[in-house]
Amino acid sequence: MASVVIVDRQFDDAEQQRTASDLGMWVFLATEILFFGVLFAAYTATRLHDPQAFAIASRLTNITLGSVNTAVLLTSSLMMALAVRATKLGLRRAALGFLCATAVLGIVFLAIKFTEYYLDYAGHLVPVLDFAHPGPHAGAVENFFYLYFFMTGLHSVHMIAGIGVVSVLAVMTARRRFTPDYFTPVELGGLYWHLVDIVWIFLYPLLYLVSRT
Amino acid sequence: MIAHPVARTRTYVLVWLALICLLVVTLASAYVPLGSLNSAINLAIAVAKALLVAFFFMHLRSAHYMLRIAATAGFFWLAILIGLSLTDFAVRY
Repeated sequence: MASVVIVDRQFDDAEQQRTASDLGMWVFLATEILFFGVLFAAYTATRLHDPQAFAIASRLTNITLGSVNTAVLLTSSLMMALAVRATKLGLRRAALGFLCATAVLGIVFLAIKFTEYYLDYAGHLVPVLDFAHPGPHAGAVENFFYLYFFMTGLHSVHMIAGIGVVSVLAVMTARRRFTPDYFTPVELGGLYWHLVDIVWIFLYPLLYLVSRT
Repeated sequence: MIAHPVARTRTYVLVWLALICLLVVTLASAYVPLGSLNSAINLAIAVAKALLVAFFFMHLRSAHYMLRIAATAGFFWLAILIGLSLTDFAVRY
């Protein structure tokens, strides 16, 4: 099959055009790193202010659901990486399957996360709504949960966007829009998905594993 | 047609296995009382996991140097953000 790649006139060839797209995506991802970065900086400052309270607060998070969710997200990244690989090789059906698996695992992640939010609510851990914690560290424990909901909430918003992107990629794949010569949207969608995964890789130990002993 | 080098499926599955193993290790280590070493281990494992994802799943291992620079720049600026904030907060209490 001879496929024609349309190269915009400012580029020498398709390879250069692809590298330019990747570079644009990585610059966007760098801004995303800093977008989440301020929250990680706020977390660091707040934790240094009262490390003991963070130890107490992290024991109140749901370690089982948090750990299962980490495994779900890591597996979704594998599916996404395999989807990109299959697209590059022109394996359309396999790519479609992997993209659907990625989206489904993303939805499973969100379902577990929202179940967790409900359990947090039932345990009076939601600041503003009905936060209640006995003991001298109540204020700092509440600060931890402000950060917990803000960080995981912003991450969930990114997951929703990612699931939307992956779904669109699945429809485009089903409509034979990609070839071994043209797969830029799948590649870039994959980069976004993996970055959201990396954010969670750091959220997991910082929120769930501060102190378990 | 341009040939695009792709990694073998096996490589991706092995990276995923490594990620899951690291998850189990970080979870298990959290239940061993090691004091402040606990947080250090957890963070080191998180960095290792992030590097595996970036190098293999995001293809930084075989990426153009410009992409590596852009990727590094994001984390470099994050280090400045947190590092300079710490010049205040780390010595305040």
